[in-house]
Amino acid sequence: MGDTLKDKVAIVTGSGRGIGRGIAKLMAAEGAKVVVVDPGVNVDGTGYDRSPADDVVKEITDAGGAAVPCYESVVTMQGGENIVKTAVDSFGKLDIVVTVAGILRDRMIFNMTEQEWDDVLNVHMKGTFTVVKHACILFRQQRSGRIITFSSVSGLIGNSGQANYGAAKDGIAGFTRVVARDMGRYGITCNAISPAANSRMTATVPDESRAVREQRGITTSFRSELRREAEDIAPFVTWLASDEAAHVNGHVFHVTGSTVSLMSDPAPIKTIHKEGRWTVDELIQLFPQTLGYELPNPAPAQPAPPPQR
Amino acid sequence: MVDVLKDKVAIVTGSGRGIGRGVIKLMAAEGAKVVVVDPGVNVDGTGTDNGPADQVVKEITDAGGAAVASYESVATMEGGERIVQTAIDSFGRLDIVVTPAGILRDRMIFNMTEEEWDDVVAVHLKGTFSVVKPACILFRQQRSGRIITFSSGSGLVGSSGQANYGAAKSGIAGFTKVVARDMGRYGITCNCISPSADSRMTATVPEEARAVRAARGIAAAGARGPQTTRRDPDDIAPFAVYLASDHASNVNGHVFRVYGGNVSLMSAPRVINTIYTEGQWSLDDLAQQAEDYLTMDLFNPAPAITPQQ
Repeated sequence: MGDTLKDKVAIVTGSGRGIGRGIAKLMAAEGAKVVVVDPGVNVDGTGYDRSPADDVVKEITDAGGAAVPCYESVVTMQGGENIVKTAVDSFGKLDIVVTVAGILRDRMIFNMTEQEWDDVLNVHMKGTFTVVKHACILFRQQRSGRIITFSSVSGLIGNSGQANYGAAKDGIAGFTRVVARDMGRYGITCNAISPAANSRMTATVPDESRAVREQRGITTSFRSELRREAEDIAPFVTWLASDEAAHVNGHVFHVTGSTVSLMSDPAPIKTIHKEGRWTVDELIQLFPQTLGYELPNPAPAQPAPPPQR
Repeated sequence: MVDVLKDKVAIVTGSGRGIGRGVIKLMAAEGAKVVVVDPGVNVDGTGTDNGPADQVVKEITDAGGAAVASYESVATMEGGERIVQTAIDSFGRLDIVVTPAGILRDRMIFNMTEEEWDDVVAVHLKGTFSVVKPACILFRQQRSGRIITFSSGSGLVGSSGQANYGAAKSGIAGFTKVVARDMGRYGITCNCISPSADSRMTATVPEEARAVRAARGIAAAGARGPQTTRRDPDDIAPFAVYLASDHASNVNGHVFRVYGGNVSLMSAPRVINTIYTEGQWSLDDLAQQAEDYLTMDLFNPAPAITPQQ
């Protein structure tokens, strides 16, 4: 047991399983008192089960750490408020919020239902807001705090079949950049992790769909590394939550296996400029040899299949 | 009048005013038949008024173009479906969907209400999905189509006081990258414009807020380039028309920043710095590498300030 987070109080949403579980356990091992938040839903958001949160709490307390379970869903403002209140009621304060909770409902855009859209957006993006907003009220008063959100290359780069998840995950990156600017002057930091790891959630993406993407030349995000343990995400998150990382604010880090990378924000990489307004004809002439030169198309057009007899 | 979009049918949401109005008028002038979508709400999303959409339709038809009005809200799936249906009913087909519709409700994260969050996310992010999804059903069948969404520097870079808007706008960028990968193989493109222009919407950001950010050293999004001070909303239209044209058939999955006489290709987030170890990180090793290398000299957009007595 170390003491990197000695006397800190941390909330980790979605910590009954997968990446969140690894983070809650390492934070507890480093001296933090932890609220293990998990309503124990299935990967698609259905169901309810207290045992994942209870199991993690038991593992932590058996190892001599301090932890309480919380079965609230992050999708309502009341849930977010109750989660923050659990930390304060159980341990007297709050220092760290980590928002890992997430579900998946993959579908091609033309088949995606409103419910598939709403459910994924609610858990990931609104579920980040509901907890972070209430934490920020406390953090601002005490002039300290750490917020660590979870994005994904599905949003940062793009992954076929995940319009809901990609929108939510890039939305969280944008949210993180704004919150960093809202809260930074109070001595609070807000950063995002883009993890790649094998978990129950990624197991729902069929191998078949990965093979289909490859065969059709549809670019996928990062190639998978050899090491993809869910627990590998925890050390860097724990460091970000520590006092040592007080200078790190408003950034996105990609973490997979033994690799931690700083990601760039979107930024202009080529610009065309004229005094006054462009005409469409000018753009037609100029674009292909300037901004459009060797511009990759992540999913080039394929010939139509022959008509069925 | 020329004919870059001759015989095309286009939907432009939020085209009763501002950037959308500029886009739809130029599309009509270039030969497209257009659906002017605008429920005429106030900047905060309240109220309804057929006037703005009717006025733009009149301007287009007076100039010899073809246009119909739709007063539907994009915030519901039914609204999105009816907007697409209006294009089919009025002009028999659909080729282009452009989604600038948006509202603003700025608030610091610790004060932001659920309604302020929900309303902004509903119009921008779900309002993009609600129109793009039914359009994609048609586009996939006809194996052609153009989708142009709207992001913002507030989400891509971060702007204080806009956690709702920043999340929604960055979410739209992620959505765009996924839809490009879902639809590209059918010969459809999906790209995103991050505009900067003075409009009714930006006028709601108080000068005071801009001054406060500057005084406190909080980095603002979308700092104006050195080349131009032009911020006319009509300046966005030529590039949107170019993207919608047959000339841009292989431009897919990208984000472009457009303002005044500038058009920039934006980078997707990419790795700019990496630390790596064999096997699993120890927290001590990670802390040292993270501090001495990964996050050294990292930019903090809102450094902590000492409270005034």
